[in-house]
Amino acid sequence: MPKPGLLTVCSVGLACGLVAAAARTGVVSAQGPAPSATPAVSFNREILPILANNCFACHGPDEKKRETKFHFDTQEGMFLKKGVIEPGNAEESLLIEKITEPDPKERMPPPESGHALTEKQIGLLRRWIDEGAKWDTHWAYVPPTRPELPSVSQTSWVRNPIDQFILARLEREGLKPSSEADKEMLLRRLAYDLTGLPPTPAETDAFLADSSPDAYEKQVDRLLNSPHYGERMAMPWLDAARYADTHGYHIDSLRSMYPWRDWVISAFNRNMPFNEFAIEQLAGDLLPNSTREQKIASGFNRNHMINFEGGAIADEYQVEYVVDRVEATSSAFMGLTMGCARCHSHKFDPITHKEFYQFFAFFNTVPEFGLDGRTGNAVPVLPLPNPEQQARLDQLNAAIDAHEAALADDIVAPLQREWEKSVSEKPAEPDVTELAAHYELDGNFSDISGRYRHGRTISGEPTFGAGQVGRAVSFDGDTEVSFGNVGRFDHGDAFSLAVWLKGQGNLPISVFQKIDVDGRHGFAWMLDDITLVGIQRWAARLSVRIAGDSPDQAIEIRTRERLRFGDWHHVALTYDGSGKAAGLGLYLNGVRVDTDVARDALSGTCATDAPLRVGAKALGRPFVGQLDDLRLYNRALTPQQVEDLAIHHPMRVILSGVIGKPSKDEAERIRTYFLTYAAPEAVQTNYRQLKALQSQKDDLVKQIPTTMIMAEMKKPRDTFILARGDYRNQTDKVQPGVPAMLPPLPKDAPLNRLTLAKWLVDPAHPLTARVAVNRYWQNYFGYGLVKTQEDFGVQGEPPSHPELLDWLATEFVRTGWDVRAMQRLIVTSATYRQTSRTTSALREKDPENRLLARGPRVRLQAELIRDTALAASGLLNDAIGGPSVMPYQPKGIWEELAFGDGFSGQSYDQSHGPDLYRRGMYTLWKRTAPPASMATFDAPDREKCAARRAQTNTPLQALVLLNDPTYVEASRALAQRTLLDVPKDANARIAYAFRLAAARKPTKPEIKVLRTLLDGRLKAYRLDRAGAMKLLSVGESALNPKLEIAELAAFTTVASVILNLDETITKQ
Amino acid sequence: MNCKHEIDLHLTRRQFFGRSAQGIGIGALATLLGPDLSAFAASLNEARDPKTGGLVGVPHFAPKAKRVIFLHQSGGPSQLETFDYKPMLAKFQGTQIPDSVRQGQRVAQTMGQSQLLVAQSTFKFAQHGQAGTWVSDLLPHTAKIVDDITVIRTMNTEAINHDPAITFIQTGFQQPGRPSMGAWLSYGLGSENQNLPAFVVLLSQAHAINTDQPLFSRLWASGFLPSSYQGVRFRAGSAPVLFLDDPPGVSKTTRRQMLDALGKLDELSHAAYGDPEIETRIRQYEMAYRMQTSVPDLMDLSKEPDSVFEMYGPESRKPGTYAANCLLARRLAERNVRFIQLYHRGWDQHKDLPRDLALQCRGTDQPTAALITDLKQRGLLDDTLVVWGGEFGRTVFSQGKLTDANYGRDHHPRNFCMWVAGGGMKRGAVIGETDDYSYNIVSDPVTVFDLQATILHVLGIDHKKLTYRFQGRDFRLTDVHGEVMEKMLA
Repeated sequence: MPKPGLLTVCSVGLACGLVAAAARTGVVSAQGPAPSATPAVSFNREILPILANNCFACHGPDEKKRETKFHFDTQEGMFLKKGVIEPGNAEESLLIEKITEPDPKERMPPPESGHALTEKQIGLLRRWIDEGAKWDTHWAYVPPTRPELPSVSQTSWVRNPIDQFILARLEREGLKPSSEADKEMLLRRLAYDLTGLPPTPAETDAFLADSSPDAYEKQVDRLLNSPHYGERMAMPWLDAARYADTHGYHIDSLRSMYPWRDWVISAFNRNMPFNEFAIEQLAGDLLPNSTREQKIASGFNRNHMINFEGGAIADEYQVEYVVDRVEATSSAFMGLTMGCARCHSHKFDPITHKEFYQFFAFFNTVPEFGLDGRTGNAVPVLPLPNPEQQARLDQLNAAIDAHEAALADDIVAPLQREWEKSVSEKPAEPDVTELAAHYELDGNFSDISGRYRHGRTISGEPTFGAGQVGRAVSFDGDTEVSFGNVGRFDHGDAFSLAVWLKGQGNLPISVFQKIDVDGRHGFAWMLDDITLVGIQRWAARLSVRIAGDSPDQAIEIRTRERLRFGDWHHVALTYDGSGKAAGLGLYLNGVRVDTDVARDALSGTCATDAPLRVGAKALGRPFVGQLDDLRLYNRALTPQQVEDLAIHHPMRVILSGVIGKPSKDEAERIRTYFLTYAAPEAVQTNYRQLKALQSQKDDLVKQIPTTMIMAEMKKPRDTFILARGDYRNQTDKVQPGVPAMLPPLPKDAPLNRLTLAKWLVDPAHPLTARVAVNRYWQNYFGYGLVKTQEDFGVQGEPPSHPELLDWLATEFVRTGWDVRAMQRLIVTSATYRQTSRTTSALREKDPENRLLARGPRVRLQAELIRDTALAASGLLNDAIGGPSVMPYQPKGIWEELAFGDGFSGQSYDQSHGPDLYRRGMYTLWKRTAPPASMATFDAPDREKCAARRAQTNTPLQALVLLNDPTYVEASRALAQRTLLDVPKDANARIAYAFRLAAARKPTKPEIKVLRTLLDGRLKAYRLDRAGAMKLLSVGESALNPKLEIAELAAFTTVASVILNLDETITKQ
Repeated sequence: MNCKHEIDLHLTRRQFFGRSAQGIGIGALATLLGPDLSAFAASLNEARDPKTGGLVGVPHFAPKAKRVIFLHQSGGPSQLETFDYKPMLAKFQGTQIPDSVRQGQRVAQTMGQSQLLVAQSTFKFAQHGQAGTWVSDLLPHTAKIVDDITVIRTMNTEAINHDPAITFIQTGFQQPGRPSMGAWLSYGLGSENQNLPAFVVLLSQAHAINTDQPLFSRLWASGFLPSSYQGVRFRAGSAPVLFLDDPPGVSKTTRRQMLDALGKLDELSHAAYGDPEIETRIRQYEMAYRMQTSVPDLMDLSKEPDSVFEMYGPESRKPGTYAANCLLARRLAERNVRFIQLYHRGWDQHKDLPRDLALQCRGTDQPTAALITDLKQRGLLDDTLVVWGGEFGRTVFSQGKLTDANYGRDHHPRNFCMWVAGGGMKRGAVIGETDDYSYNIVSDPVTVFDLQATILHVLGIDHKKLTYRFQGRDFRLTDVHGEVMEKMLA
């Protein structure tokens, strides 16, 4: 008797010994045991998988790979040539001849393909031909029709139509459903499935006490209306939507998509119908007068990874983003592996290479950059001010508009022209009294002070470019310039140095050095104490040292303020000759600034004949950046004189025209100068106010969160078929479209995402409703009715209960895609309400419980294991939504992999206070280093759409639950809570703690085991109070001083065992 | 249909366990099998090797190597200053690289640089060993072991940036989502160690000064294979495996008592629910307990004699350094760990190459050579494959300003150098030739897929046959490419 499905297909082709072994040990196929009657061979379930697996590589949908015209993926292709398949007559069919050919050179499939058919498969093919060789479209591509409810004998068990389908199958198999789970088990299962949190003892008590016939349904409705319902429903969707908090590629810095995540939670809590849920996520931005919420929803297709690696090619990554959208959309909504058709037509499913790019075209017109995201979210983004922020923003914008209106060109320009005329004749020179040297640095190193002490280049090639007063000189780290013996002074001499300065890079640099050979006498300027002030922007403090015998015999001051690298600053040093640090003054942009005194003990001479140098490598890193208009004076400049140099002089020079017609940048500087210093008082006031308003607005905008959304380009990008999927190989241009095997798009509808989204949720679509209900089913029972949630195609697993799947899909559409009603339907079925206790006979017959003759027993997913410990211990902060948080994590996990300075998300900034105790789903998800404890429990990295998770069972999981501070602290908190809530009776305490975690009362033997542990540990910790204190010090939550240390520590070990129970981390 | 995927996703689950069977997760960690599990193993006779947990039928033929130590030098070490000696560059120094050589090759960071001037190596080369292999004077220790290694001068890759290039060399694909080589091998071959993971990852930080490239946990992830095949990172310090240490204040006795209580309660649960998964969990807790001994024992270098530290160099005494990790790699190899993956950061010399490359070489040359010598002395080199190299090479032209003493080099995918040693590979050979600019391959190209296929080959694996079905398709490490490089084989 043939066995359908898994065994048949898998026992060929691959080294699939596992399955063979499974067969021998009585393990049955995915669809469960074979039915006892012998129905006709099913083309869909038994024949198509054989053909797909063994023949499609050469006789399949990929026309380029076909070696003959003859192919098996369509009816037409299959019967193209007479005699290949003779319906009703296997012996006359060439197909059978070919697959049974004794000569391996002639046999199909050819041995070198690695494929071979088993006797069983050949037998099936024979029978199928003898039975008439009926061809059928793959089941999943035929829209579901509502099946009749099957008749069953044990009608009293049936609570709703689900049960009728399940029971009909069980009865066919000669099996009986299990009894209903006891109330404690049932409520715990339900609470996890609908909210992800264990029921409280009070909730369990209320349910136990409620003897009304609809007691269970009341619990269902209570939990369906819990705000945590939306969180629980969102969790699997976040996997499918590859939601994460970082960009994923290379530097992997932070993004902010939590508004999208919160939209998903809220959509479930508002019971948004699934069709709207799909439309808003795929095309919320294109809905007429789309709301802010709808735009946020469209972020579904911005959750993909984004790159900005230096040197990466934008076009390449822009294509990757769109491919990811195609993969995520087709997988999450349709269970299709469309990504397989990126490089060539799909090998198994009827999706051509061209159709892939037609689908791609829908997602290819987003106004985005291939490389983006350096500073956070990548465009297009939506700012999300809260109402107060919006009000403040409106207010500021109005005020700014008003001020700008008052400063409009027609008002200000005439005034400015008049002023310019008055000052433009000849620039008044700044005070030149005692000017020792003046280097304009406009193209050479000439001194124009009258003393003509010209500088010279010692090494490198200095270049000259736009500066602050005319041109400026650039130093690249290799350039060294000597200005000769200028600026020679001793500690008794007054002195000033003024210069325009722009530093560059991210390292400390030396600016000026006038130091003798042994490095002891003279003076030096440094830019050091570097800090990061923005994305890839650094700033440094300027320090100036005058030394008699460096480093100790010196005066040295340092600016408190930091100078941003990449910006021009006018810097002036004045010295009064007092020999004291107080005699030094530093000015930034014409204003004297606060300084710290680093040294104040000058003695000995500081005079030296060494040259004044810039860019020398002798002391510190050489200068990298620009200098302009360097002046040295043999006296201390007055504040007014410094201001004149920094502010007024450059303007006069520009206006005089001596350096040519003002550039755009210079024109702007003139206007700013005029408004700040020279305009009539009223205009100046207005301008000052405008500046203040703009700065307030900048600060506000920085605080307003954003989220990435979809949008359309004004001029849409063309889409081309890419040969072999390579962005460089554009071939034919295509228009947006959908695969021909699926229903067509409505005629005359615009070819955009909105049309696509509506098409997807059209009741005629064969896949969408099935895939959605199958995802729900998987959440409850561990497996979907179609086990391969990610693949409903030809290579996917056929449904275990095809009629039930179709009934649920049509019911979903019939109820207007009512998500909550669908959950209610499933959890109120008798099928769901069965006990998960099982017998060995049943387990042997149906080890995976695909026939559902018992209730589900599945390990909790990673996030819920955390939530359980926090909820049981009372530490849980059950706030919903908001920015992601960073709970405890061993030090260095991020840092050891990270790029380092200059970007967000490189070091782990652990949260404190209530943020330490948020639900697992709010843990910040860094793709290149996913949350360590959760990854151990099979949480995915969220790089790509994931339709379901693995369920492994490893020793690393034991280490997490026993030793991760999260769980150690939760154990202590659970112990603390228990000792405070329950009076002295140890057994009662054990029962209380046990119940908080497992939501049932422990049995006597269970209490006994824990009591023995408690008593033993109590003795031990009374002798080891220091050890007890150490254990209790884990975690940041407060320790209750009222509790006895040894007792609390001993009970903490009991609580830890309770949190480690298999039952605690399992839904059963 | 995704049968393999199915079975492995739920690998440890109920389908394998009858009432009396004792369960265990099969995978990288699953090989922490106790000897008492023979009954269970027997039930899997045809599927998984009872000793290793590997697939039955794998290896496909007699392996030459039993394990791999992969010394990944992250960032892209320059071939021009290490193994690809180009005397003609002295003549071309400072000249624009001819278009006929460049052939429109994509560049990474030098896009927009107006001149691409040829820069010769500032370091001298000499021939070493009986093989007469050219090695620069940056690598004096490696020069002494050239007769034990085979230098491949004609490695080439598709990717031009770090993220895709390193993802490619580790997983066979430039975009994320595929299993790493170590995961493939854990899946196929299982492990021969009962107390350690099959796939261990060690990481060390740069010796160079300039900014470092990041790494990603996806490089040792299991992709679509079950998570139990992913690499387990051993970190320097007191808890080499995450959460290995008991919490403070929990004595060994207390931990034992807790585990005893836990085991008893889980047994009760098993009696009530009959789920074999519960038994598996009990075993995993015991294995975790054993790891608390086996891992610190592995990491404890205190019993290594001084002569060993002298051989690996002074940094080998400092946990977490490349030198200490090389020594650790030998200890892991001794314990039969299947795939030992080292990453050393800091090889991305866009600028200040002479200084930073010298620092990198000084930090790694001695321990690398010591590892080979040490393995050889212990008779381990014959069945341990050691692989050295980065994700791409560097351009012959200077990035940024070229002077006689200083220059940088951009990423270069068309040819770069790696070397292999031991485990079935030739010794003292040099594979492939590049042109006078070290810009194009002249003979014997070796693609990343070829290297992967050859690594699998010496492990007894036909790279075309180690496949895994996911989303309806049979995936393999080498995708649809790769040829075993006979020239590399002994």
